[in-house]
Amino acid sequence: MIQDELRQLCRRLLEDGTVQVVIGYGQSSDDGPTYPVFVTDAADVDRLVWNDQCFANLTTYLKRKEVKALGKPAIIVKGCDERALAVLEKESQIDRTQMVVIGVACEGVGQPREPKCAACDVHMPRFSDHVLGQAANTPVEADRRYADLEAFMKRSPAERMAYWMNELSRCFKCYACRATCPMCYCERCIVDKNRPQAIDTSPTLKGNFAWHIARAFHLAGRCVGCDECTRVCPAGIDLRLLNMSLAKAAEDEFGYRAGVDREAEPIIGSYSLKDKESFIR
Amino acid sequence: MSEHAGDNGNGFEPKIVAYVCNWCTYLGADLAGTNRLAYPPNVRIIRLPCTGRIDFNLIIKAFEMKADAVLVSGCHPGDCHYTAGNYHARRRWMLFRELLETMGIDMNRIHFTWISAAEGRKFQQIITEITEKTRQMGPYMDYRKVCEAS
Amino acid sequence: MSEIISKEDLLRLVDQWIGQGKRTAGPTRIKSDVVLYAPIRSSSDVQLDGFIRPRNSIKEFIFPRHEKLYGYKVEGRKIQLFDAEPAVGEQLIIAARPCDAAAFPILDHVFNWDYKDEFYNRRRQATTIVTLACKEYDRNCFCTSVGLGPAAESGSDAMLLDLGDGSYEVRCLTEKGKALFAGKTGTSDKTGTVPPGPKKIFTKESIDAFFAGGYDNPEWQQMTLRCLGCGACAYTCPTCHCFDIVDEGNAAGGARVKNWDACQFCMFTAHASGHNPRTNQGQRQRQRIYHKFEIYPTKFGEILCTGCGNCTRNCPVELGVRPVLETIETLSVAGGTKA
Repeated sequence: MIQDELRQLCRRLLEDGTVQVVIGYGQSSDDGPTYPVFVTDAADVDRLVWNDQCFANLTTYLKRKEVKALGKPAIIVKGCDERALAVLEKESQIDRTQMVVIGVACEGVGQPREPKCAACDVHMPRFSDHVLGQAANTPVEADRRYADLEAFMKRSPAERMAYWMNELSRCFKCYACRATCPMCYCERCIVDKNRPQAIDTSPTLKGNFAWHIARAFHLAGRCVGCDECTRVCPAGIDLRLLNMSLAKAAEDEFGYRAGVDREAEPIIGSYSLKDKESFIR
Repeated sequence: MSEHAGDNGNGFEPKIVAYVCNWCTYLGADLAGTNRLAYPPNVRIIRLPCTGRIDFNLIIKAFEMKADAVLVSGCHPGDCHYTAGNYHARRRWMLFRELLETMGIDMNRIHFTWISAAEGRKFQQIITEITEKTRQMGPYMDYRKVCEAS
Repeated sequence: MSEIISKEDLLRLVDQWIGQGKRTAGPTRIKSDVVLYAPIRSSSDVQLDGFIRPRNSIKEFIFPRHEKLYGYKVEGRKIQLFDAEPAVGEQLIIAARPCDAAAFPILDHVFNWDYKDEFYNRRRQATTIVTLACKEYDRNCFCTSVGLGPAAESGSDAMLLDLGDGSYEVRCLTEKGKALFAGKTGTSDKTGTVPPGPKKIFTKESIDAFFAGGYDNPEWQQMTLRCLGCGACAYTCPTCHCFDIVDEGNAAGGARVKNWDACQFCMFTAHASGHNPRTNQGQRQRQRIYHKFEIYPTKFGEILCTGCGNCTRNCPVELGVRPVLETIETLSVAGGTKA
């Protein structure tokens, strides 16, 4: 069973000092939710679990200074989380040689399965140092990836605007979306800058529009579609639609999908002389 | 934003915000001026060193400040004073437009152009066209509603 | 003898109250798994059952997420100030949970302490809260550990108890509650039964013992490692009340506004000098727990928590107050605080 293999592997890594901490999933009862755990003692590896409730994208902890202080980590990733590692590496935020990546084959999370799982083509991790379990990475047609977005875009612009005016009115700027996202690692977020205040901090519709547009755009070509932001939003806002619109643009225009090809040039920060300009007069 | 001098209260006068680069479009606008090419005074020109400096956030801010249309304009590809600023801008715009479409923002109110320092006439034409078109479309109420909702 | 009302009559009454111009709010189903307290336009919007409790609290109707304090306009060298939003009319919250209503007697202390907050008091006076006693609870509920329970009456103007037969017992607890239901109820000899509530997860003695010597306990860092520093817990908590005052506007004018703030944000205690006394998440989490379970009780005699469980339910990583208190209880019982 993957869980047993995982515990054995982590015990070994901690015992022989290869890593000082394992960032993984724990669970206080069999039918309870999972949550991130940080195991520093080989004797505690039985705290680690693996099942289809392991939602969290643990790569977000690699930026947290409290976690960095624990020492060299081993980190457990699903295929979708692993894509985040590829982006972080490309953006020079992590040093792959200073961590051990344990990839776990995943058939999907959640009961019922999360929407992202239906179009997943990274069930089997691809760049990890260790891989547990077996799964197949069947390619998925792009239109399946963005089916929800395409359905949404069939609405008229006025209907879309009405939709977002309603959805975003519920936001109260808790920033759970930002906190949970591995790509939101700015020491000082744009919304926290006040000379000048580029984005209103108020949870008014104006402030919420400005925030969500800013965040979505700052994730252009970087969001890997782990959908954690959507899952954790207390107000149930469908943030994945926003992130998907930029991910689809990246794929349509540049054939680029964040974190899929470790060698690919990120699309923001680079340019091509052949970039489209049919919309520019 | 103050009402512009020509508004005699008989009709809607659109507010156009133009973010332009210092080395091309701004000089192009200046050329239009020195050549006495009249263009509607509805446009408020905001000068930036380069289109590469234009944060998408500025476009949203313009709508927050009750602009009815936004123009973003810079040097032609290959002519950027800073070599590649407009290439970066172009790429950003390609992506940002998709996000704005998803939000339901009226894409007829956002315009992108390349206007060089020699293209005074083009500047005149673009501003005239945008002003007329925006006058026909009326004020951009959607974003005002967003800003007024408490 | 008890007062009762049928579900149909209750919903009809809700429509009447809305028709009278009372700003009414209650639990609404936003999506299949998202229930939130929100303003309602008709009784058909209200969800009376099918969920444990809404993800948010009712504090936003008395302590709004965003509130204008005053406006200003600059003309040359003259500055004009404009009053804040007009006083809100009557408000009514229907089917609130007891753990939501109980927050207000607790919050009354801090909002009337060294400064009488007219914004809070105005809304508080204008609001009538009708609670619906709980029939069930989940693993995150711990109202019984903080002196409350599924039918706790604190903060309620009237309480409904589901009789299970399509009707509710109505207990009018204050004058406001009586005024609302006067003449609208029938009588019965049935009374609502209430489940005993969740087992207690900690005792005051254990956690007080831990607090007494535990300020520097390294466990604070350990048990809060997974906290990501967002504000989901604070913003969905019925009793958290920190706020930030900012000016919004430009050279021509704007407003001074008050927005919710959360102690878990990394910049919450950042000083203008650049110093920040709470630079890591363990310190921030420790502060939250101390504030709720030690500082506020010492100052005002009440725990700043109603055991609703929202913090843990909404936390992206299953933290919140309950897991921390459970750990503290275990540590305290196991052998007191470590040196």
